[in-house]
Amino acid sequence: MSMLDDHIRQEVTRFLEGLAGPVRLVLFTRESDCELCPETRQLVEEVAALSDQLTVESFDFVTDAQKAAGMGIDKVPALAIIGAQDYGVRFYGIPSGYEFTSLLYTIRAVASGQPELSEAGLQALAGVNRPVHLQVFVTPTCPYCPQAVLLAHQMAIASPLVRSDMVEASEFPELAMKYQVMGVPRTVINETVHIEGAAPEPLVLEKLREALAQPMEA
Amino acid sequence: MKLQFTLTPPAEEPPAEPEEPLLYDLAIIGAGPSGLTAAIYAGRAALKTLVLAGSLPGGQVANTETVENFPGFPEGVGGMELAQRIHKQAERFGATIVPEEVTAVDFSARPFTLRTYHAVYRAHTVIVATGALPRRLGVPGEDRLFGRGVSTCATCDGFFYRGKRVVVVGGGDSAVDEGIVLTRFADEVTIIHRRDQLRATKIYQQRALANPKIRFVLDTVVEEILGDQKVAGVRVRNVKTGETAVIEADGVFVYIGMDPATQVFAGQLELDRWGYIVSDARQHTSVPGVFVAGDVQDPYYRQIVVAAGTGAVAAMEAEKFLGEYPPTERVKSGLDEACCEVE
Repeated sequence: MSMLDDHIRQEVTRFLEGLAGPVRLVLFTRESDCELCPETRQLVEEVAALSDQLTVESFDFVTDAQKAAGMGIDKVPALAIIGAQDYGVRFYGIPSGYEFTSLLYTIRAVASGQPELSEAGLQALAGVNRPVHLQVFVTPTCPYCPQAVLLAHQMAIASPLVRSDMVEASEFPELAMKYQVMGVPRTVINETVHIEGAAPEPLVLEKLREALAQPMEA
Repeated sequence: MKLQFTLTPPAEEPPAEPEEPLLYDLAIIGAGPSGLTAAIYAGRAALKTLVLAGSLPGGQVANTETVENFPGFPEGVGGMELAQRIHKQAERFGATIVPEEVTAVDFSARPFTLRTYHAVYRAHTVIVATGALPRRLGVPGEDRLFGRGVSTCATCDGFFYRGKRVVVVGGGDSAVDEGIVLTRFADEVTIIHRRDQLRATKIYQQRALANPKIRFVLDTVVEEILGDQKVAGVRVRNVKTGETAVIEADGVFVYIGMDPATQVFAGQLELDRWGYIVSDARQHTSVPGVFVAGDVQDPYYRQIVVAAGTGAVAAMEAEKFLGEYPPTERVKSGLDEACCEVE
């Protein structure tokens, strides 16, 4: 049985018609200990079937461990959205609920390779000179969360040194615990700097600068 | 587990093509029920309409579990679903809806100017429909522990309180309804209200009273949110006896009402002492050509159907205004700054 109903499929088809270029959906799942891996795969396949520009590449987290490591993927389900290049854009956990919106808009942004950021934002990101890791914790029932996820993903598209993860908190409770996530969206920058809520671009840039000003991890 | 899939903007259209004029007949700020209803009416009136949706497309209703009092939905309707339906209807009639947040406005001359982080837009008329934002308690600990146990969104954050104890502050519909939502996760939900009875609609009160996980602490205000790295509880005071106590809790959900989102309009539009935009009965503001709709001008009712109604009025008034004070050249003339001054 299909996961997306006819109505949503039509809307998604229409949405994907405008994709500026091909996008690869690189999926990692695991046979066991991954409750939502089968659903995530089904979702990704159903979405990919709605546009000629989308292809799915499916890997097993265990047997293709080297491939996963090479892409910086350390948990499943994981989805890398890759366009003209790998911008470091990842979804960990199933992008359902409001995060389905994040998935589609991210696909569109990756397809174009043109981040939708302000001039000031693009300038700030061009000046990033060391690796930045953005992790945006979400729940599927959070209407504010896609804004935070999309902003982080746009930043990853804008800078080769920035990578960005959506992390679905309920599927990765240990990680949520580790970063003391008790409300979403919560964006963690390079392990140390936190942003609560869906912050506007200038605030996220400020926090990014704050993270960059901190001493490098050993 | 039931999976749902929601496709709604944060971004409906990519940024405007460079050659597309950023000048509109009508710019609507906000994409809740009032703003989008205005967009439906404006679209049907063939006005070139821009909606600047801001940070929460759909508005507060998108953040509401179920809407039971909107006419035409006898079984109730999901808040997000209702928001999406209105959104779709607005698009059907030609409104351009962008996810941008307005950061500054200039209403001193027509066409009016609206700035976002991405662009500068101009419009011959404007409808302000920015709605309201959750009010904070303003007590020690609240800001420090926001996102660390302090929340204003039960649907977003309820998950983190499975098996835990939470308090809900407030006595209105949102407080009681969200308190009920939280019982799905938390073991114990304490609703703290400063008066001796709740303000919530009777039907919510009855549901809460029948719920064994909910208890009420009335006549009581929260004076401090306690906790070091995360919320540990609240210090409360009984307003009648003056007695203070500590209620232990892992989460504090604040639902004490809303404040109008009018920060960017200070100095541009007349606001009342609570920050609401002052409006006449036909949704006109203090600036001719700028109209207002929804919760941003409504300290009394704050209902979806009322917001939609004022949105319709504002759009009809904007249309009328454009007829009475037509721009000297129509919108399609593009970005030419000099084209459209009004006598």
